[in-house]
Amino acid sequence: MINNVAIEIKDLTKKYDDKVVVDRLNLEIFKGECFGLLGPNGAGKSTTMKMMYCSALLTSGELYVLGLNVKKNYREIKSRIGVVPQEDGLDPDFTVLENLLVYSSYHNIPKSEADLRAQALLRLMKLEEYQDRSVETLSGGMKRRLAIARGLINSPEVVFMDEPTTGLDPQARLWIWDFFRHLKSENNTLVLTTHYMEEAEQMCDRVAIIDQGKILTVGKPQDLIKELIGKEVVEFSTNPVDLNYYLGRLRAEGFAYQVIKDTVSVLVKENQEGRRVIDLIASDKIFIRKPTLNDVFLKLAGHQLRDE
Amino acid sequence: MKIKNFLVMPAVNSGAFRVWSRNFLYFRKTLLVSLFWIVLEPVIYLGAIGFGLGAFVSNMGGMSYIEFFFPALLASTAMMVAFFEATYGNYTKLTHQKTYSTIMLTRVGPEEIVAGELLWAASKGFFGVMGVTVVALFFGLVDSYRIFLALPILFLLSGVFSCLGMIFTSIARNYDSFIYSTSGLIVPMSLLSGTYFPLEHLPDGLRYAAYVFPLTHGVAAVRGVLQFGLTREVLIHTAVLVIVTWVCMNISFYRIRAKLLK
Repeated sequence: MINNVAIEIKDLTKKYDDKVVVDRLNLEIFKGECFGLLGPNGAGKSTTMKMMYCSALLTSGELYVLGLNVKKNYREIKSRIGVVPQEDGLDPDFTVLENLLVYSSYHNIPKSEADLRAQALLRLMKLEEYQDRSVETLSGGMKRRLAIARGLINSPEVVFMDEPTTGLDPQARLWIWDFFRHLKSENNTLVLTTHYMEEAEQMCDRVAIIDQGKILTVGKPQDLIKELIGKEVVEFSTNPVDLNYYLGRLRAEGFAYQVIKDTVSVLVKENQEGRRVIDLIASDKIFIRKPTLNDVFLKLAGHQLRDE
Repeated sequence: MKIKNFLVMPAVNSGAFRVWSRNFLYFRKTLLVSLFWIVLEPVIYLGAIGFGLGAFVSNMGGMSYIEFFFPALLASTAMMVAFFEATYGNYTKLTHQKTYSTIMLTRVGPEEIVAGELLWAASKGFFGVMGVTVVALFFGLVDSYRIFLALPILFLLSGVFSCLGMIFTSIARNYDSFIYSTSGLIVPMSLLSGTYFPLEHLPDGLRYAAYVFPLTHGVAAVRGVLQFGLTREVLIHTAVLVIVTWVCMNISFYRIRAKLLK
């Protein structure tokens, strides 16, 4: 069983000065799965991931990557994983191809082998015609693709990506998610952070929702939706005067709901009927939809704005 | 335990060499502009101060002014090039370019990054020295095998300022911070370390204070070795430089490592 585990986290805590960023976290990530760390800004997901890829020190707890202890064997871990950081960190002093070659040299990949891998990755990432361009001239999407290529140059067993689609246009996002499907199909272990719930729902085998350094829940997106939300959501808007009246009627019928300002989302469980809600509520702004991971996220993490 | 950790000699291994090579690759790409400032500038000083101003000075304690000034020019070149690389260059890589954070994603660790960078800035200072030496050959200023004794001292001196620059990089809050180190330290040092005139001409207090400057020892060592060979004074000045390098190196290791891995 233990061989199946890619990452094992026990009581992981991280403090910056006195501020607790990650709070006694426990988690297992399995080989071959695509695992998503979800959470609002400042939830501690990037810090957790940084500790996994050995770019941040642990305050306390244990963390094993591929069976190796991050405190002792960081060098071996880092040579067996690939990382795509949030800020691409491409070297503006060099061209596209040079970026890959210089990075392979840090990994001790022999020059001839590095050339082959770099060419193959540039083809895969549709960057071959830009190989002699300075990275400064690339678009955001191209930079991200180059950062992904760089993260894959050492044929890693686990790939970490910190908000891989943040700040990209819809086409670039689609392309990247499509590429992740390709990586997944080759049995790579992927760990990513995101706050795009619909992407996480589609892509991740399992997700952990994190807030204030703690895991609120872990599981398969569909299981979490079924368990925490139900089979469908009825959403309606109303005025503040009628709101309490409607909520009373919903409670009397045993419906659970979430209220965000004037909008009410009624969570319809397996044994309930969404049509019944429509009979109860006399609002013309009412509709039934499928529940999403977003509902789970808002239910657990709340809807207040985060300042960080 | 802590003191012991603090005083270790860093291992210059393959990782440090990769970091050095990254910089060398960039240096090669921008060779022309690099040569322009690291060689041409000292050569202009050589012409303007050494030959130009020097023409008005007949005797500097048994040598011509250009003979007096040339060792100081070599030493200041080592200082300037290494220090600017270690401050502006390394600060850019530490902050804006995030070069170090990216290297940290690979098997290369923070110690090797610092070792590679210190070695690189020292090497670049030394390249400047070599450039000036080659130009000086054509002016007939290098006429003794003793230059081969001076070159290792100049490399060491580049190392001093490479480490010193790295410490300033670890303290700096932005590029403007380097104005303190440049105007407060580097410029006074380049003027008052027995470079343009002998230390004896400084007011009494300042004359001894000048021995706090590493450049003073660098200039004295290089001037001594070019004139007399490996004398006792030269060895003492060199020993001072070794100690300063070693201390500054350890401080910069400690500080940059703490910045890279929190």
